[in-house]
Amino acid sequence: MLFISLLRAVKFSLQDIIRNIWLSLVIIIILILALFSINLLYTVKVIGQATVSAVKEKIDVSLFLKNDATEEEILALSQRLKSLPDVKNVDYISKDKALAAFTDKHQDNQEIIDALKQLKRNPLSPTLIIKPNSFESIDDLSKRLDALDSPLIESRNFANYKLMLQKIDSITAKVAEAGLLISLIFAVITILVVYNSVRVATYTHRREIAIMRLVGASNWFIKLPFVFSGLIYALVSLGAIVAVYFLFLTVLQPYLEAFFVGYNINLLEHYRENFFTIFATQFVAAALVNIIASLSALRVYSKI
Amino acid sequence: MIRFVNVKKLYSHDVVALNNVNLHIKPGEFVSIVGQSGTGKTTLVKTLISEEKIDGGRIVVGGWDITRIKRSEVPVLRRQIGVIFQDFKLLPKKTLLENVAFALQVCGSGRKKINTIAPHVMRIVNLEDKLARYPFEVSGGEQQRVAIARALVHRPKILLADEPTGNLDSINANEIIDLLLRINKFGTTVILVTHNREIVNRLRRRVITIENGQIVSDQAVGKYLL
Repeated sequence: MLFISLLRAVKFSLQDIIRNIWLSLVIIIILILALFSINLLYTVKVIGQATVSAVKEKIDVSLFLKNDATEEEILALSQRLKSLPDVKNVDYISKDKALAAFTDKHQDNQEIIDALKQLKRNPLSPTLIIKPNSFESIDDLSKRLDALDSPLIESRNFANYKLMLQKIDSITAKVAEAGLLISLIFAVITILVVYNSVRVATYTHRREIAIMRLVGASNWFIKLPFVFSGLIYALVSLGAIVAVYFLFLTVLQPYLEAFFVGYNINLLEHYRENFFTIFATQFVAAALVNIIASLSALRVYSKI
Repeated sequence: MIRFVNVKKLYSHDVVALNNVNLHIKPGEFVSIVGQSGTGKTTLVKTLISEEKIDGGRIVVGGWDITRIKRSEVPVLRRQIGVIFQDFKLLPKKTLLENVAFALQVCGSGRKKINTIAPHVMRIVNLEDKLARYPFEVSGGEQQRVAIARALVHRPKILLADEPTGNLDSINANEIIDLLLRINKFGTTVILVTHNREIVNRLRRRVITIENGQIVSDQAVGKYLL
């Protein structure tokens, strides 16, 4: 009897969706729009996080060395730095490399190129570029480098990072706060829109529900077709949003790559890697909103 | 069969729908409950099928005290009491047979049982030749007969008819009453709630008169008094 009732509830649910196809389509379209907006918000968050991570990744600290420092002394210092706890990597930029990079960078500025030629010597110092293990450890690393005692060091350039890091931290925190607030507002609006659409759909069934109650259908049997309908609406809209959003990302990706040159931001890859987590969460949320809205409408309109 | 003991129902502090109602209906009886609109007749029906909870007293149906009935037990009670209303309550998108079968489907009956019982009750109400028609394709009297057929599918011991002839002309109304009498002859207790004087006087059965939520008269072979 339980199996028959389950099958019948599925049948009633499908019959109902087909017989009220326009209302069903409205609910599905509203769900698709809601899911699209949520994905859009999520995409903005992913881009924001990727950008901040990329900026953090690019932060390093430079030690400018004396001109007369020998290769052996510099490499020894580099080895010493690599052994420090917060150091990820140390790059040695020799005087020649620095000059080549400088010339390359200013090749369009004839005045600088002429000034360099007049000097008749390489004015640039050898440099050690130190990458920290993580963005958070840069403060500790700066302190260690400040305390480093070596006759090779001419100057140290990391004082400005502290301010910059504070700014990045502050922006990241504000973006996260604003994102959370917008997400919450949007989630509430979405839930209300979907909730009311489903309530309208349930309201149209009040006559059928009244008859079911009258002839002795159990409460769970009356509720079950609405639960199945909620699941079906969520599943169909999820299928549609997967297709639509992957198409949207495929179109968007080249523009993102062009805009964020030098940063590795690949949304398609992110969505593929996290497909199950992203869409399973959305399915559960959509199904829950549908089911809760239906059951609450049943309680209000049909006292079930 | 049915016993109301000091039943009280309030809709608000001032509105008393049923006030100290005491009545006893024996198995197989045909009872008419009469009274003007708003006197509490429909409330009495609703309390009997547990659509409304009472505020005082006790209601017993077939030895089952339904005064404090659990929500999960209400469907069981409703399968034992067939109910028909003035507005028929049929589903317009289902055929007459499907409307009757629906009552069995939603209660978990198997296909074989449905295929046996649904046409059988349609024969009892003389509609076996209109099974595939839709409600809008038949007369009001025929729609009410479908509602009666649907009420019979669970073989109820009690049939409650709340103003079943309210939307019908006198010919159709008499046909419905004749059908109810026939069902009563098979042993089903029939409770007819009406304010149709002609019908009540023609029946010459027990008549309970309600006024302002109270029973003012209970005649074994009665007439419409108001």
